[in-house]
Amino acid sequence: MVHRAADLLAEATFLQRLLARAVMNGESDEAALWRSMFPGLFDPISASGDSAEGSARARSEALLAVALEVAGRGDRVRDQIRGAIVEALTERLLSRRTGGGAVRRERRILFDGVRSEIHPYDVTVEVPGAAEAFDCKWGARGIKADVLHQLDDARVHAGDEDARLRVGLVVFDADRSCRVRLARETAPSAGTHLISLEALDRLATGEWHDRALP
Amino acid sequence: MSRTIRDLVEAAVDALAGLAVRGEDVDDEWSYVADIEAAWRARLEEVATTRGDEPASGTVAHAVDLAIDEVARIADPHRAIDWLSTFPQVVLVALGEVP
Repeated sequence: MVHRAADLLAEATFLQRLLARAVMNGESDEAALWRSMFPGLFDPISASGDSAEGSARARSEALLAVALEVAGRGDRVRDQIRGAIVEALTERLLSRRTGGGAVRRERRILFDGVRSEIHPYDVTVEVPGAAEAFDCKWGARGIKADVLHQLDDARVHAGDEDARLRVGLVVFDADRSCRVRLARETAPSAGTHLISLEALDRLATGEWHDRALP
Repeated sequence: MSRTIRDLVEAAVDALAGLAVRGEDVDDEWSYVADIEAAWRARLEEVATTRGDEPASGTVAHAVDLAIDEVARIADPHRAIDWLSTFPQVVLVALGEVP
């Protein structure tokens, strides 16, 4: 289920990703209700039978189906699955830019002399001279001081060893909500990049590099 | 009588306030709940300011009504906090806006 959802989300538009977020957060299990809530995704296919239109509609239906499957699980399992989906999606998008062999999951980054701060990162890109580490969150509420400290520590310690490490928070939630959350945090975030729901495709293009948090 | 964008935004802002009340039950998130409600209410009200007098199509009004019905079902305060972010985005895209 996680891989199916991540495969679909990797190809999805912002609106389709928002549908998935809403359904996976939701209470209702009626597909028809969600179709009506997102009319732009489920318009009847025009008489011309345009294949792109048909393919987008089919992806919306497939995403709705898998999101309802996730929503149908108990709260604890749902939370775990949603987190795993964001990690798997991040992995897929990064792989488009870097090649699959460079992208790893749940990796620890070791720095001499700072072993006490060893922390497993959700997704890493291991390219000599251009490494990246990401923490992945389902919602803005997952942004907490410990996460920001861990990312910043990794970046700073890498710098101490003359290594370059870009760090980012991938959040399957709106940029506005993430910034509300970040405004409350005093942990260092100036060197951390935010990749929110609207900007996920930048993982594949690398454009997030210029968007460190203020 | 057809409804306007302002009517829909006002209903959405009321529903957002209801979510915030439920989210406030999580004691250590009280101020975050207040901040996120304020941020999204401001965004919704921008739309009412710029497009408030526009008539809303039946499809759009139905989509917003369904989103309001959905959040009315949310009883769990943690899930209510999740919806404080999700709900306004759903309403905004239904209105043809960028969240």
